[in-house]
Amino acid sequence: MKVNRRVVLKAAVAGALSAGLPLRLWAQNRSNLKFGLAMPLTGSQSAYGKDQVTAAQWAVDEINAKGGVQGHKLEMIVLDTQADAQVGISTVNRLISVEKVPVFITAWSAVVKAVAPIANREKVLELSVGANSPEIASLGDYVFTTFPLADVDVNAVARYAHQSLGKKTAAVLYINNDTGVEAAKVYRDAFESVGGKVVAYEAYDPKATDYSGMLLKVRAANPEMVHIHGLITDLPQVIAQMRQLGLQQRVSTYSAGYNPNIIKQLGPAAEGLIVTSLAPGVGERPQVKEYVERWQKQENRVPNGLPYTQYLHDAPVMVARMYEWVLKNKLPITGENMRKALLGVRRFDLPLTGVVEVDATHRVKKPVNLMTVEKGKFVLLATVN
Amino acid sequence: MFEPAVLAQILWTGLATSSHMVLFTIAFALVLKVVKLWNFAQAGMMAIAFYAMYAGVNQFGWPTLPSVGFGLALTLAATLALERFGFRVLRARRSSSLLFFIFTLVCSEFAAYALTLIFGTEPAPLFERILSPVRIVAGIAVSDWDLLALGVTIGLATALALYLRFSSDGRCLVAVSDNAELAELYGISAKRAYLIAFALASVLVCAGMYLYGTRTAVIPTAPLQLMIFAVIATLLGGMGSVLGAAIAAVTLSLLQSYSILIVPSKWQGMILYVFLFVTILFFPSGAHPMRLLRRFGLRRG
Repeated sequence: MKVNRRVVLKAAVAGALSAGLPLRLWAQNRSNLKFGLAMPLTGSQSAYGKDQVTAAQWAVDEINAKGGVQGHKLEMIVLDTQADAQVGISTVNRLISVEKVPVFITAWSAVVKAVAPIANREKVLELSVGANSPEIASLGDYVFTTFPLADVDVNAVARYAHQSLGKKTAAVLYINNDTGVEAAKVYRDAFESVGGKVVAYEAYDPKATDYSGMLLKVRAANPEMVHIHGLITDLPQVIAQMRQLGLQQRVSTYSAGYNPNIIKQLGPAAEGLIVTSLAPGVGERPQVKEYVERWQKQENRVPNGLPYTQYLHDAPVMVARMYEWVLKNKLPITGENMRKALLGVRRFDLPLTGVVEVDATHRVKKPVNLMTVEKGKFVLLATVN
Repeated sequence: MFEPAVLAQILWTGLATSSHMVLFTIAFALVLKVVKLWNFAQAGMMAIAFYAMYAGVNQFGWPTLPSVGFGLALTLAATLALERFGFRVLRARRSSSLLFFIFTLVCSEFAAYALTLIFGTEPAPLFERILSPVRIVAGIAVSDWDLLALGVTIGLATALALYLRFSSDGRCLVAVSDNAELAELYGISAKRAYLIAFALASVLVCAGMYLYGTRTAVIPTAPLQLMIFAVIATLLGGMGSVLGAAIAAVTLSLLQSYSILIVPSKWQGMILYVFLFVTILFFPSGAHPMRLLRRFGLRRG
C-alpha cells in the first residue's frame, strides 16, 4: 500500500476516533441524569413555588453528596411557570424539546392539566406534586400524582365537620378555576353524603379583591360552617372580609391554608381555622423535625406551605429511585422507561412524607392530618385515615 | 336574601367599598376635565403611591402618617415630573390624542414593571393585619375601616368641591377646563392649572390606595384593573363632569353589590363590562338622569 499524506491523515483520524470513543461512552455513562422542575418562581404564587424549589434542591444536593445515582449526578433544571397554564406550556415544551428531560415535576392544577397533553404526546413522565384537582387522576398514561388529590383531604374535612364537629349546614366558597371548581364539588358531595346540607355554594373570580357580595349571601344563608377552597393569596382576604361582615362561623380549608402567613395576617380571626396536612408532622417523623430545624437555621422561618415542601423535597428522591431502576435494568433513559420504573418501583419509602404507593389508578392515598389554629399556632386536631 | 337587614348591609358595605373607587374616579375625571387627557398613567401613580407607603411602613419601619406623607410626596413628584417632562413635551409637539393615550399606557406599564423588579409579585397588604374592629349597629356590621373609608372619601370630595368653587386657583381650573385658550387670554396659566389638577389627582390617588391597601393585598399590576372601573364611571357620568363621575362610581358599585341578589357572585366582575359596552354604544356622552328621562319621553327637553 502506498503511504501518502492522505493515508496518514485517515489513519490518524481513525486512531483518534477509536481512542476517543470509549472516553465518550464513559463520559455518557457518567453524564448527569436530568429532570425538570416547573414551578412558579414569579407571580402571586411565587412565595410557595420558591420554597418548594428550595426543598427539592436540598434533596438533589443530598443525593449527589452521597454519590448520586450509580455514580451519576442528578441534575434538576428549574423553570418558571408563574402558576399560569400558558406559561406552563412554554416551560414544559422547553424542558422536553431543549433540555430533553425524560421526567418533569410540576404543580398547580391549571398548569398540571394544561401540560398533560404534551407529556402524553411526547411520552415524557409528568409528576404532579402538590396540585389536587381530582381530574388529575384521569389526565392520561404519562401523568401521575405523588400528592393525594382533593377527594382525599377535602372529603376528610367535610366528613369531619359533620360527623365530629356536628355541623349540620355548610357554605362552600371557591375560586372559579381548576383548583376550586372540582374540589368544591368534592366537599359538597362528601358533606351531603353524610347527611349535612350545603346552604350556600358560591364561586368567586380569581381576580376579585372584594368578596362582600358573596359573603352577604352566606350571611343570609346562615350556615354553621364555612369551607373555602381558594388560593393562599385570596384565602386570608376572604376570611378577613367575612369577619368584617360579622360572620363568626368556623372556617375550614385544605392544605393551602397550612401557612403561618394566614395567622400573621388574620391574627385572632384565624382562631379555629381548620386546615389539612397530607404529610407527617414534626412530632411524627424525626426527619421532618430536622428538616424544619434546617429551615429555621438557614431561612429563619418555617417554609410557606410546609407539607407541600415536604412532598417537593421527596420528589427528587423518587426520581433518583426511578433512574436507579432504569439503569439497573439496563434500559435506555426515556420517558416510557421512567414510567415503567415508576410503576415498577411502585412503593416509595420517602424521608419526609413516608410511604407513597403509586399504581395504575393514578391516585395516592395518605392519612389526613386536620390541623387547627389554637392560640396563634397550628395544632393537630385529628387524623383521618 | 331580600330581608331589610341584608339589603341595608349590602347598601352599607357597597358604599364603604366604593369609597376608594370613587377617589380614583374623581382623580381620573378631574384630569380629563381640566387637561383633556385620558390619563391611564394614573394606574402607575396608584402603584407608586401604594408601594411608597408600603416601603415606609414595612421596610423603613415608619409610623403610618410619615409613610402616607412619603407616599404622597413620591406620587406628587412622579406625577408632576410626568406632566412637566412628558405631557408638556407632547403638547408642544402637537401630538395626536392617540399618542397621548399610548404614552399614558406605557407609563403605567413601565411603573408596574419597575415596581415588580423592586418589590416582587407577591401580593402584599399595607399592614401585616388586614382586619379592623367591627361592631353591629341595628343589625348591620360596621367596621372601623368602613367608617374611615367613608369619612376620608366624603371629606376629600367635599374639600375638592369647595376648592373648585371658592378658591381662586379652583376657579382658574374650571376656567381652563371650559376653554384653555380663552382662559389664557384672561391671564390664567393653563400650564399651572394642569400642574394643580395633577397634584389634586395625586392626593386622591394616594388616599384611595391607602384605603385599598389596608383592606386587601396589592400586586404591581392591580391598579390597571382598578382603572377600568374609573374609566367606566367617568364615561357613565359624562366626560367632563367630576360630580357625575363620582355619582356614577357610587351607583356602579352599588349595582355590583346588589347584583348578588339575582346573579351568582362569579358574574359580578362581568357586570362592569356590560355597563362599559352599553355606555359606549348607547350613552356615549354619559347617562345623566335628566337626559335619560328626556330620552325615554318622561320629561320634556
